[in-house]
Order: sequence, then C-alpha cells, then structure tokens
Amino acid sequence: MSLRTDLLANVTTALSGSSVSVSSELPWSSGGVELYRKNKKKFYLSETNQDITQLQSTLDTNDVFQTENTLSGFITVDAKNQPADIQTVVSAVLNSRLSVSDYFIRECNATSETEGDEITYTFEYNFVNLI
Amino acid sequence: MAYIGVNATADFVTLKLNNSADWTGDVANAFVSGEDANTYDVLSMQEITVNATPGIFRWKQLDSLSEQAITTASTNNIELTVVLDDTIFFSNTGSSYGILDSVNNKAKTAFRLYWAGESSGDKYIEGIAYLSALAPTVTPDSPVWTSPLTLEIVGDFSTGTVTP
Repeated sequence: MSLRTDLLANVTTALSGSSVSVSSELPWSSGGVELYRKNKKKFYLSETNQDITQLQSTLDTNDVFQTENTLSGFITVDAKNQPADIQTVVSAVLNSRLSVSDYFIRECNATSETEGDEITYTFEYNFVNLI
Repeated sequence: MAYIGVNATADFVTLKLNNSADWTGDVANAFVSGEDANTYDVLSMQEITVNATPGIFRWKQLDSLSEQAITTASTNNIELTVVLDDTIFFSNTGSSYGILDSVNNKAKTAFRLYWAGESSGDKYIEGIAYLSALAPTVTPDSPVWTSPLTLEIVGDFSTGTVTP
C-alpha cells in the first residue's frame, strides 16, 4: 500500500467516533475554494511529495540515499463554535504518524490559521526511509 | 602539473586487501592475478587519509637560538571511514578474512591503495598492515552502519605504477 493509503487508514481509525470524519479525496479546489473549507469537519490528505537526498556519500558512488516523503492534511471548522473534541482530534491526527511503519523519521506538526469565521488546521507530515 | 582527481568512475580510489596465507608475507605476490580469489576491495569508503609521519627528536644547544632536529622512524598508517558492506565485513573472500575477522584475528594483511583508478599508468602504494580502530556505529537519524578503520602499516609504503 502507498504511504498515503496507510496514513489515511490510520487517521480514519484514530478519528472514528469523533466529530471529524475523513475524506479519501484529495484536497483539490472547486471554484477557488478548497474542499476542506467547503466541507467543514472533514479531514483531507494531500498526495505524497517525494524528495530523494543523499544520506551517506562515498568515494565509489555506492552512496546511501533516503527518501523524504511529505504530505499535508487539512481540517476546517467553525472558528466561533469549534467542536468540543477539537484538541482530541488534533492529537489523534498528530499521533497517527506513529502507526506508519518502516520509516526511521516520522514527524508531524500542526498549525492553525483563522480566516473569517473559519479556522483551518494544517498538518505537515514528514516520513523518511532508506532506499 | 596535474592534480589527482577521483570523481570520475575510472578514477575512483580503490583499496584492496589480502590476508590469505598464500602470499607468504611478500606484498609483490599478494596482488598478482593468481591471488584474485583472495583479494577484495573495501567498498563504500567515505574518506581516506594516508599518514606518513617521521618521528622527530629535538634538542636545544647553548650556541643556537633555535632547536635542532633529526628524524627518527616513521609512523605510517591509513585511516578511512567506510559504510559497512555486509559481505566484506562479515564474510571471507577466498582464504582472506573479512574486515571483522581480520581485526579479530590480528591478521597480517597486504594492502594496495590505488590513488585514482587502476588503469595502465595509474599510481598505487602498497605494503603490509594490521587492521585496527574498527568502531562500527549507527544512529536513529543515520540508520546505516558506518565505521572508521585504520591500517597500521608495518614498515614502509612502497609505490608502484599499473603496467599494461
């Protein structure tokens, strides 16, 4: 399975029973408005971006490479009346990174941005493994 | 004048080792074609330093404002760092020990270091050494085994040129 599929399955499990559901669609824009802003209280996950970098360089080009995989997740909720369990939801999304195996770096950070009466939580995942 | 570049494939630095009993302590016999089955390349070297350091004895004289000096026997070694390869680290090549067993058994080892490729006319140094200073390490942020390795040279370096 792909990293996105794994992560999405983990987030779906982590958020079951919460006020936020999970969409398998990509967070594309419709009429200039992102889906996660149109469909509030729904988690969207981007496609995986990959970056291959050199971990160990050698004199005979038997170099060791690593792949850095980054994905972005989004949840938008009403800023005035946030779901009561929003902090639990944020923690669950952050912790879902730990359910992905075979990566030696599994990081995620969450930021929030308020615009009008909406607050959007953005999750930046970073997974690194050896090639 | 020409600098010694090692970035092209044909100019890679190559370190060959042989500690089988077949070469009977004579380096000239260690890297002939008949010894190919007992010789292996140290793969994935990250850096290599050749140290050829004469000892210095110094003394002061009442008739001189500066110290006098004379050389004593040299300490010669080759220090390198390597990304460990499973095969050459753990396994024998013919009747030569892998790197770990070379250290464990304190095996007298013939080495040949090609400075920039192994083609006709390319230069090398060779000699006899003991492998030491093996210290494999791995960390969560850099999860491949790497290790320093020192070849403590017995006697002099010999130089040579690859012949056609």
